[in-house]
Amino acid sequence: MTPYPADERFRIGIDIGGTFTDFVFYRETENCIRTFKVLSTPSNPAEGVVAGMAMLPQVERATLVHGSTVATNALLERKGAKTAFLTTAGFRDLLLIGRQTRIDMYDLVARRAQPLVPPELCYEITERLDHRGQVITPLNESELDGIIDSLRQQAVEAVAVVLLFSFVNPIHEQAVAQRLREAGWFVTASHEVLPEFREYERASTTVVNAYVSPILNRYLADLDARLPIENFHILQSNGGRMSVVQARTQGVRSIMSGPAGGVVGARYVASQAGYEHLVTFDMGGTSTDVSLVWDSIPVTTETVVDGLPIRVPVIDLHTIGSGGGSVAWVDAGGVLRVGPQSAGAQPGPVCYGQGGLHPTVTDANVVLGRVPADGFLGGTMSLDRTSADAAIRRLGEALGLSSSSGLSIEQVTAQGVLDIVNVQMERALRVMTVERGYDPRDCVLVSFGGAGGVHAAELARHLRIPTVLIPPYAATLSALGMLAADVRWDDVQTIMLPGETAFVELERRAKPLIERGWMVLREQGIDMSRGHVWCELDIRYAGQSFELAVPFTAAFREEFDRIHEARYGYCQPSAPVDIVNLRVRAVGVQEPPPIAKREPASSPDPSSALWTRRPVVFETVVESVPHYRGAALRPGHRLVGPAVVVHDDTTILVGPSDRATVDPVGNLLIEVGTHD
Amino acid sequence: MTDPIRTELIKHRLASIAEEMGVRLQRAAYSPNIKERRDFSCAVFDACGRLVAQAAHIPVHLGAMPLSVQACLQAHTLMPGDVMIVNDPYHGGTHLPDITLVSPVFDDEREPASLLGFVANRAHHADIGGMTPGSMPLSQEVYQEGLIVPPVKLVQGGVLNEQLWTLLLANVRTPVERAGDLRAQLAANRTGQSRLQALADRIGCARLREDMDEVLRYSERLTRRLLATLPEGVYRFEDVMDDDGIEDEPARIAVTLHLRGDEALVDFSGTARQRRGCINAVYPITLAATAYVFRCVLGMDVPANSGCMVPITVQAPEGSLVHAKPPAAVVGGNVETAQRIVDVLLGAFAQACPDRIPAASQGTMNNVAIGGWDPLREQPFAYYETIGGGAGASPTAPGTSAIQTHMTNTMNTPIEALEYAYPLRVHRYALRPNSGGSGRWTGGDGICRELVFLCPATVTILSDRRTRGPYGLAGGGSGQPGRNRLVCSDGTIRELPGKCQLSVDAGNVLVIETPGGGGYGSLE
Repeated sequence: MTPYPADERFRIGIDIGGTFTDFVFYRETENCIRTFKVLSTPSNPAEGVVAGMAMLPQVERATLVHGSTVATNALLERKGAKTAFLTTAGFRDLLLIGRQTRIDMYDLVARRAQPLVPPELCYEITERLDHRGQVITPLNESELDGIIDSLRQQAVEAVAVVLLFSFVNPIHEQAVAQRLREAGWFVTASHEVLPEFREYERASTTVVNAYVSPILNRYLADLDARLPIENFHILQSNGGRMSVVQARTQGVRSIMSGPAGGVVGARYVASQAGYEHLVTFDMGGTSTDVSLVWDSIPVTTETVVDGLPIRVPVIDLHTIGSGGGSVAWVDAGGVLRVGPQSAGAQPGPVCYGQGGLHPTVTDANVVLGRVPADGFLGGTMSLDRTSADAAIRRLGEALGLSSSSGLSIEQVTAQGVLDIVNVQMERALRVMTVERGYDPRDCVLVSFGGAGGVHAAELARHLRIPTVLIPPYAATLSALGMLAADVRWDDVQTIMLPGETAFVELERRAKPLIERGWMVLREQGIDMSRGHVWCELDIRYAGQSFELAVPFTAAFREEFDRIHEARYGYCQPSAPVDIVNLRVRAVGVQEPPPIAKREPASSPDPSSALWTRRPVVFETVVESVPHYRGAALRPGHRLVGPAVVVHDDTTILVGPSDRATVDPVGNLLIEVGTHD
Repeated sequence: MTDPIRTELIKHRLASIAEEMGVRLQRAAYSPNIKERRDFSCAVFDACGRLVAQAAHIPVHLGAMPLSVQACLQAHTLMPGDVMIVNDPYHGGTHLPDITLVSPVFDDEREPASLLGFVANRAHHADIGGMTPGSMPLSQEVYQEGLIVPPVKLVQGGVLNEQLWTLLLANVRTPVERAGDLRAQLAANRTGQSRLQALADRIGCARLREDMDEVLRYSERLTRRLLATLPEGVYRFEDVMDDDGIEDEPARIAVTLHLRGDEALVDFSGTARQRRGCINAVYPITLAATAYVFRCVLGMDVPANSGCMVPITVQAPEGSLVHAKPPAAVVGGNVETAQRIVDVLLGAFAQACPDRIPAASQGTMNNVAIGGWDPLREQPFAYYETIGGGAGASPTAPGTSAIQTHMTNTMNTPIEALEYAYPLRVHRYALRPNSGGSGRWTGGDGICRELVFLCPATVTILSDRRTRGPYGLAGGGSGQPGRNRLVCSDGTIRELPGKCQLSVDAGNVLVIETPGGGGYGSLE
């Protein structure tokens, strides 16, 4: 692989968070990565970006990759463009009916997610194609005049056009989209964003795109006007980057940009440390994200965001509503529960002293000494341990617990709170490993959320994960991921052909998609020598409704049986199959910048980093445990558990049977002991 | 003595086992009905056969599965390596397409092996033989509905009973698909077994038993506490099924709900005798529908297990529509009568706690089965769907339109998927305007679905609420009854009864309009 052109020598990754906007930059001449952060500016995120960029030299020659939550927030806060929906006559209520299921089976009131388009902005037009793409009812273009008048009166900004079977033959959608574009609207036609069958999911994806793209577009235009950067990219939900030009019409592809950055960053850090199979564990204040990286970034096309299906490839994450801020409480049956309510950032856990009254997971960690009260945020914020003790004690009393085995009532209770949150985390980790057919024993657990460091080793022990990796860049991992992200473009086309179809026919069908993939890469300055474009087929047994991705080779049939056997435990070589979709993946492989090695320690003895010794509760014993300053640990230092490592933004617990070492770039690698 | 921490831990651990079984079943299953529509449930039971955890997928399975385990326990002594199979509605089953597999779990480390509990899963099979493809016929006795499997050992001491397997597959229309789904069910139980054994290894057998006991007591305790908050009294309600598809005469379902302290008695005395048509419900269906209603009404953040039903007694007269005896036809009891049982029990609850009970929802599943010979694809075809309708308005909001309610929550088949696979074209799939009952809050609208046949076909419709609409509450109007019609090529319209079987020609259009939900509150 040849080196990147000049403008890749200076790379910037930017991730906009709720409080801080993180910057990571790499300069080839220095061969090192630097990070810094500026305060976020939620009312106009561009302000924070511009402020941070002002602190960097030579920006006009840089490649900038930006994780944008602009589209995400527009969707979650329902602050997107005023959008109309236009579909085939007879199906005006398509978005409302959805798959006709309700969210909660045991809710007396049947509910569903509210569509982004209200009924009065749903229109239909006379036309119909059959499943072969043949016109059954011609498009009645004259109906568009009335629709255009109505759209004007309603002051609509964007229109989603979704006609049945447009993915087989887009002729009607193209005609409608062209008229509406000429009339001045932002238009997304479904065949442009997702030429795939299943009308509701395609419609939902198309509507989300029409709804968020104008908002993203305004933001990018603002940024573009203020920052003269030629090589400007957005991180997509699939973990790859795309040019701003594409992002402007395909906003839906950036919906999961933020979490994707974290996983890409974790994979990058783990891979530099020699691990290719990892479980990422991002435990924050209110929620926890888990994903499994098995060589490559895992993507799914089955994502549902806030009740709305989004069928473009999105990083495969499992999210649960538990975190450090989850509230512990007593239910009506007298049992200890943790979450789903969270104390959030405001008022936060009791120990923050900001008015929080309900004990949380973080308070339990403070009570047990696992999070030192005076080491929080680098000592800039001291935690109120007395209040945490009192709150947890009240909880224990309400539960009828008593002191036992030399532990106080608050210690017994805090232990229970942690056991319960850990069993929830364990379930989440099992969902992404065991339940997908992967053995956790072959993985490394990469923990990077602020609240995860105290739980990671214990969770790994329960799942028999041998190693925990905690990167030194935990807080800026997402921005780091931006530097490591490949250029990536995923495309799909439903073809629905019988399994007997000749491979030359499949090649003929694939040709235009492959050409489009190359075009996308070329637009981003990637030529044949550095790009890679390949196809996959989605195949299923005739009559089934789940497809499997199969390599694009003449032996696709045998490959399908082999993959089916591996995934589901059986196959049927004589049964007929459907070739459902053709998928194209275009990737411009990014040479990730090396993470700079740190100055090694002169001896494995970490006592130079020792900060203090404190009592910490483990099960039924209280031990005096050394606490180390994370910033003072050097590559080569070895820690023998129990130990606590205190960073500015997180605390790490090394259990009594664990060992830990600092690797050459500063990752803490915990070798997980077997003792429970 | 209650341990408030252990109870919560075991709750998560057992639920995780049931969920993992479900993932295994879904992954390994062959048929779309299980793989995509998720028409299955998985559960863990204690050594007495009491349900301790269930991965909740299908409301109609909740509350009914313990009876399958009990039936297996009564029929045979279970040994390590055995797996029982059952679908007999009169021996622990509900209707024949629902096949349940039950495996005992032993602690193999000990000598003799001691019983830890059971794992079981139930899946709806797309065909189990009988009169019509899809096994949802307009039958008049259970023997016409398909192969009846009483509780028998499918696997004995770890060895599959090949002869039974062959017999089973010889009686169904799609043996390859059935074999695939049954193997998936076996795999799901194996997953549950090893997870339950691993849990026993981790916390010890004795503690596992204690914890299972405690999680049952916990659910019972929570349920009693919530029941005690309901106003004491005796509340009666009744409603009817339109007909049984054979005799055009309504069939009454009556209930008397006794709320007393922290207990409840649900008495279905006064319900019609079982009928010749297929709308009879066996007792497990009635129990499941009751369990569903209590779970909804109590707003239960309570682990779904047998403990929830301890304070609730369900009396259903033998030989009635809600406790059918052999050889009554029962296939519609599961899909149609179950909805009405929910309606009447909610009607009774509406008098006890009017502030939280919504008006009646569509009260049917609108089952449509279509089969024939597809000349384009040159193969036979069989298609089955259920159609959503209007939900009842609640005391505080209008009812949701066009949605699956109460005892079902299965997805529709996408139009584009349907037209790829079958000689059918969907002409319209839309809200049915003004079909929700009037009131301060209007009921949700039903659906209007129009299917065009591209070749001759046989159609079976199993639907209800075609003559009387779903009731409104507090002065709200009834929802519009549903309506089934066939529009012929020459434009003539043929009104169809709620339950019927008919032959159609190419170009005919089947128009199904599903009921709207009842309205709530009078219009001022």
